[in-house]
Amino acid sequence: MIPFFAQAPNPIIRWEYFIDEWDQIRRALVEHLELTIYAVTIGLVVAAGLSAVALRYRWTVAPINGFTAFLYTIPSVALFGILVPYFGLSRFSAVLPLAAYTLLILVTNIVAGFNSVSPEVKEAANGMGMTPTRRVLHVELPLAMPYIVTGLRIAVVSTVGLVTVAAIIGQGGLGRLIIDGLRRTFWTPMTIGAALSILLALALDGLILIGGRWLTPWAQRGKSAL
Amino acid sequence: MTVLAQAPVPRDIGFLAWLLDPDSWTGTDGILASLADTVALCAIVVVVATITMVPLASWLAHTRRGEVSVSWLVTLSRAIPTFAVAGLLVPLSLRSGWGFEPWPIFIALLLLALPPIFLNTYTAIQQVDPGAVDAARAMGYREIDVMFRVELALATSVILAGVRVAAVTVVATEPIRAFLGGDGLGRYVRDGLGQNNDGLVIAGAILIAGLAGLTALSFRLVERFALPDGVRRLATTTTR
Repeated sequence: MIPFFAQAPNPIIRWEYFIDEWDQIRRALVEHLELTIYAVTIGLVVAAGLSAVALRYRWTVAPINGFTAFLYTIPSVALFGILVPYFGLSRFSAVLPLAAYTLLILVTNIVAGFNSVSPEVKEAANGMGMTPTRRVLHVELPLAMPYIVTGLRIAVVSTVGLVTVAAIIGQGGLGRLIIDGLRRTFWTPMTIGAALSILLALALDGLILIGGRWLTPWAQRGKSAL
Repeated sequence: MTVLAQAPVPRDIGFLAWLLDPDSWTGTDGILASLADTVALCAIVVVVATITMVPLASWLAHTRRGEVSVSWLVTLSRAIPTFAVAGLLVPLSLRSGWGFEPWPIFIALLLLALPPIFLNTYTAIQQVDPGAVDAARAMGYREIDVMFRVELALATSVILAGVRVAAVTVVATEPIRAFLGGDGLGRYVRDGLGQNNDGLVIAGAILIAGLAGLTALSFRLVERFALPDGVRRLATTTTR
């Protein structure tokens, strides 16, 4: 007789889960990627705006820095939680905090990148008769690119990690597999969710690294403001 | 008397009403108990991180070893996926007979606390004025005295800033413990989400954010008052 509490063995991972539940894993992976891309894209646009303001009006550097640092220190559980009453268990409630968390890293690196362009180079560009817009886009931006790419890498990797936390409000891609496995004390989805989110972070990091080298083949490696 | 483990909270209670109700604060799952839970875990994590990383980093910096690892650590410290790490550790912890909690979250939080403390200690000691170190040597200080009485003394404020960053990060991240089979201050957001109780979610979020803010504030106060004037004037932060 089998006692009623007898359980199937619960290994750390069951490989057949990959085949049986591939649809679910793929959905989670795609959702994870989408949340990351939305958050970082919004973060990048906002950070570009804030950086432009900070670079144009020097006195705004401290307040902008303070504001983004403040956003960064808000606990993620609190920020996800506090949006739910207003925006529901929606994708918006997940993306908004994720984007907010990228700002500190992105603004710091973008500002540092543009500050790293030497005045002589700007003078030379002016002397060649470039309009300010053209100078920024064709001279300063490429020279600032290594910093921006480094900032982007850190932002993407930390966002991939934070997306899993969005699972507490029913979003969160691979994080949902973690929570799901935890609720059912079934380790396979949990292990897969956790492992894949780490692998995804490494993969995206490598991708941006390669993309950055391709964009700026002349650049020194590993420049960062942080 | 209630049979439920969680005291049922009225559904449409406002967060302010709940926070101001003394009954929310007392009892085994009251706010004070959860707060003590969270603070205890965070304190242990930060203390362990400090007593391991400060000696290690100061020795490495004193002997000028491990220069390469530093820039790599900056990236790493921003990139540790705490939730995934803790999630991976839960089954391992259960199988080793350590239970659901709090080992997985403890290790995950520790990983989060180590880099800022290591980094600040390392850079601070590395940037100590070589003149001061040479002067101490010329006065006949032994190496151990150079480390403790010159380098560490001059680096104190930057090291404290590193501990503050670690503490704030740990306190801000600890609430995910409530979603990994534990309790602590994150439980109100968890319970509120589970019970579709907006008031409880908002109150829980306020408590978590409040504790993080309070942690930062109290460390800044300690940094200000615990330091002699001379060291305070030297104070510069390397990481926020």
